[in-house]
Amino acid sequence: MSWDYFIYIALPSVLCWIAGAYFAYKATGYKKAIAFTVAGLLLFFSFIIGMWMSLERPPMRTMGETRLWYSFFLPIAGLITYVRWRYKWILSFSTLLSFVFICINLLKPEIHNKALMPALQSPWFAPHVIVYMFAYAMLGASAIIAFYLLVSKRKVTIDRSIMSLCDNLVYVGTAFLTIGMLFGALWAKEAWGHYWSWDPKETWAAATWLGYLLYIHFRLYRQANHRTALGLILFSFLLLQICWFGVNYLPSAQGSIHVYN
Amino acid sequence: MVKQLWGYAAVAARWLSGRVAAITALSSLLFFVILLGFGLIGISSWLFVLSFIYFQIVLGLVIFRRLKHFRWKRDTGFMLNHVGLFIALLAAMLGNGDLQRLHMTVTTDFPEWRVTDEKGEMVELPLAIELKSFTIDEYPPKLFLVDNTTGEVLPEKQPQNLLVEDCPLTSRLLDWEIEVTDYLPSAAAMITKDTVLFKAFHSEGATSAVYVKAHNMTDDTRREGWVSCGNFMFQYVALRLDDRVSLIMPDREPKRFASDIIVYAKDKDTREYMLEVNKPMSVAGWKIYQLSYDERMGKWSRTSVFELVRDPWLPTVYLGILMMLAGAVYLFVSAPVKKD
Ligand code: HEM
Repeated sequence: MSWDYFIYIALPSVLCWIAGAYFAYKATGYKKAIAFTVAGLLLFFSFIIGMWMSLERPPMRTMGETRLWYSFFLPIAGLITYVRWRYKWILSFSTLLSFVFICINLLKPEIHNKALMPALQSPWFAPHVIVYMFAYAMLGASAIIAFYLLVSKRKVTIDRSIMSLCDNLVYVGTAFLTIGMLFGALWAKEAWGHYWSWDPKETWAAATWLGYLLYIHFRLYRQANHRTALGLILFSFLLLQICWFGVNYLPSAQGSIHVYN
Repeated sequence: MVKQLWGYAAVAARWLSGRVAAITALSSLLFFVILLGFGLIGISSWLFVLSFIYFQIVLGLVIFRRLKHFRWKRDTGFMLNHVGLFIALLAAMLGNGDLQRLHMTVTTDFPEWRVTDEKGEMVELPLAIELKSFTIDEYPPKLFLVDNTTGEVLPEKQPQNLLVEDCPLTSRLLDWEIEVTDYLPSAAAMITKDTVLFKAFHSEGATSAVYVKAHNMTDDTRREGWVSCGNFMFQYVALRLDDRVSLIMPDREPKRFASDIIVYAKDKDTREYMLEVNKPMSVAGWKIYQLSYDERMGKWSRTSVFELVRDPWLPTVYLGILMMLAGAVYLFVSAPVKKD
């Protein structure tokens, strides 16, 4: 399986997810919504497995490859949220986001090669990246909701139930962020002999994590100040962007051991 | 007087263990971590150290206050997260002081027991390592087009390459159809008066070479010849395709490097081990890591560099990390408020 076939698998997957999103709005569509979303996920996952086999390594090294996982985890995040809290619109939303990332990969595929430096050849590699991508999907969803609320509800008060949705997404996202970070630390210890070295990528990962912790604790302190809390979500998401790909461009991060091509 | 001071301390501790203090601790640490991320301060900057200490004190007091009326069901998740972080940070900090990190360079056939510490000074260890052999497995060679004048790989910013996995092989790079007709993974260059030829050569110092026939699809010109990445014995050889571009083979990327070693430790059995990146070895309280090798000799290096780390606080750090992992699972399951 190569990048050339991506469109033939991605489009049917997106169609399944759209069908799932549609049924989520129907009164009796709960099971169908789940079925279609899962079908799309299985199809999409088959492409990832195909890439994995043809590259003979986990497809997680280049930005394009991490976007692949991101497009995969967004509908999963949506599905979990849907099943757990029954928000009708969440599947449309995760489908749209995932579609955007699929389009980026279609328009700007990046060169893929098999080479994987020895430090990355580790059983920690896959869980580390997968957990992080799942966290990014959750936190990306919370950022879009925060943005929407800040823009559209400028004059009216923001109701508590939508704030608890943000809390839920951030809690789940932060849980996974923590796990991804700790896996990274354990792995670094195996590969380099130290779990944390304040390398630029690690520094921004710490900043991102602190940002979300700040949100969590701010919410405990000031239940009522919704706008500042939402601002914190956006700010933390900005930190996350710097950590994910911003460090590749940051002058202070040249020479980071975690910047690959 | 004493009573009054005690009173102040109690007020301070009360505030420091509260939510406002937690927010100040988190935001000030975040602020300095961001400065760190932009390279504006270093980790030994006193501002950073101070905010870190403040963070740790607040975290400790927050935990302490909860402990006073601890209730299992209510507080387990809280304790896993907060105590776990506290332990991990404290142990990592203390561990930094007690951590020993040494480098040992070993050449085949000569057991080595001397190492250099961070300052480059020699230290003797109760441990000797013999390097039986050092091997590098490499990825297949790659071919790139480069600009003759700038030396940049093409196309700019998005260089394309051709991976010579099997031979014969035909593929395209920009306007050129590239046919690889011969691939010698171990080769030696034979330099005649006006050409360079490659022959199979299976001994120390061998390099890799491919024979390429290139055909320009736009103006129908053809070129052929050997391309090689060279090494410490042989010069690299590029194939000039036209005035603008040449075909080159960069050094082959290592897939795996491994040292077959024998470790002699005092009062311990002698052990043989295949040391690789991501596969360190533990012996007598030390962890031995594959660090590097003689890069000039590349594949034919007869020396290997190991890193020896002694970290007595490691189990404590792991305890903290495990607690935090459990805490994260807890955070996930207990994601707070239901839909109103
Ligand atoms: C692993 C990182 C952390 C996570 C996941 C986390 C999560 C949480 C959660 C979910 C709560 C509310 C739960 C409850 O009240 O039982 C909480 C409370 C709190 N956390 Fe954290 N926290 C972390 C680190 C910190 C740090 C570093 C500080 C202080 C510097 C802190 C200070 C507090 C305080 C003061 C409370 C309120 C306690 C109370 O009201 O009794 N937390 N934290």
